[in-house]
Amino acid sequence: MSFVKKIIKPVEVLVVASKTGRVTIKYPFEEPWISPEFRGKIEIDPTKCIGCGACVNACPPNALEMIESEDKKTLRYFVGRCIFCWRCIDVCPVGAIKGTRNFELATNDPLDLYDYIVHNRVKCRECGKVTGETTRMLKYVLEKAFVTENYNNKCPDCRKKIFINAISMRRTGPVGEKT
Amino acid sequence: MEKKLERIKRSIWVFHLNTGSCNACDIEILDALTPYHDAERFGVKLVGSPRHADVLLLTGPITLESLPKVINAIEATPRPRFIIALGSCGSGGGIWHDTYSTIGGVNSLVKILKERGVEVDGVYYVPGCPIRPEALLYAVALIRGLVEKKAKSMVATVE
Repeated sequence: MSFVKKIIKPVEVLVVASKTGRVTIKYPFEEPWISPEFRGKIEIDPTKCIGCGACVNACPPNALEMIESEDKKTLRYFVGRCIFCWRCIDVCPVGAIKGTRNFELATNDPLDLYDYIVHNRVKCRECGKVTGETTRMLKYVLEKAFVTENYNNKCPDCRKKIFINAISMRRTGPVGEKT
Repeated sequence: MEKKLERIKRSIWVFHLNTGSCNACDIEILDALTPYHDAERFGVKLVGSPRHADVLLLTGPITLESLPKVINAIEATPRPRFIIALGSCGSGGGIWHDTYSTIGGVNSLVKILKERGVEVDGVYYVPGCPIRPEALLYAVALIRGLVEKKAKSMVATVE
């Protein structure tokens, strides 16, 4: 009896298998199925980015970092640390960051994991000192908010000086002529 | 490195090395081995000991508690030995990159290994949180040379 079962069982399996068909996907050789909600690598558009650093503040694992040097401000995106939460997309004021469904990020070279956007920093019109903002951001702020011509494009120290001078002119005459 | 890569190109036997991960990547590894994704198409086999393995699937940000055991496991793997760092935690430290109890990803591990004289022939990085099983299959296909590398660094300068 058991001998007959031993012969019949593989045949039964064959019948079941032929009904089900092949389930294995051919992944590297065909397009994978990805749901529309899937969150993959972000792409930063260098033509739109103003270098404000809103994404840097929002990023939970510090995958987006702002590296400041003497006259350059570099936005660095490290995919190896990104958790694909897409919070940077929500906070970007100019919509420069776009989410993709790209997950094929495997590499053997760690340098492939980094994206850089290099911004120039603004120089003060008065004293030539480098201020914190990038050139793009200054343009953006001037479009959005009203800043007097006297004050724009100047470093905080120079602005303070101008302000104190203006007040003192009204009250006692120019600074330094007192006494 | 390519010569060493040739030697493991036939079938990759992997050892699953959990270094304090949240188990999401571990579940995706099991997912990649199911008949649906079927990593065994590429000769991938999960083995029970690092002594039998060609490649270590490293998940997690490498906690200080697990560090000596990880080093032991890597020392036990025969040359040429490769590491596939899985997930954000494995490849860059992830959300734990600067916490007190982790060393933050495979890069610092390789530095520590160099100090101890343990050589690793290559590290593959697979970002994702957690990784898709397809991402792991892609990494395996990359080692076998079946697909081309798509990841590329972008450097843009704003005027």
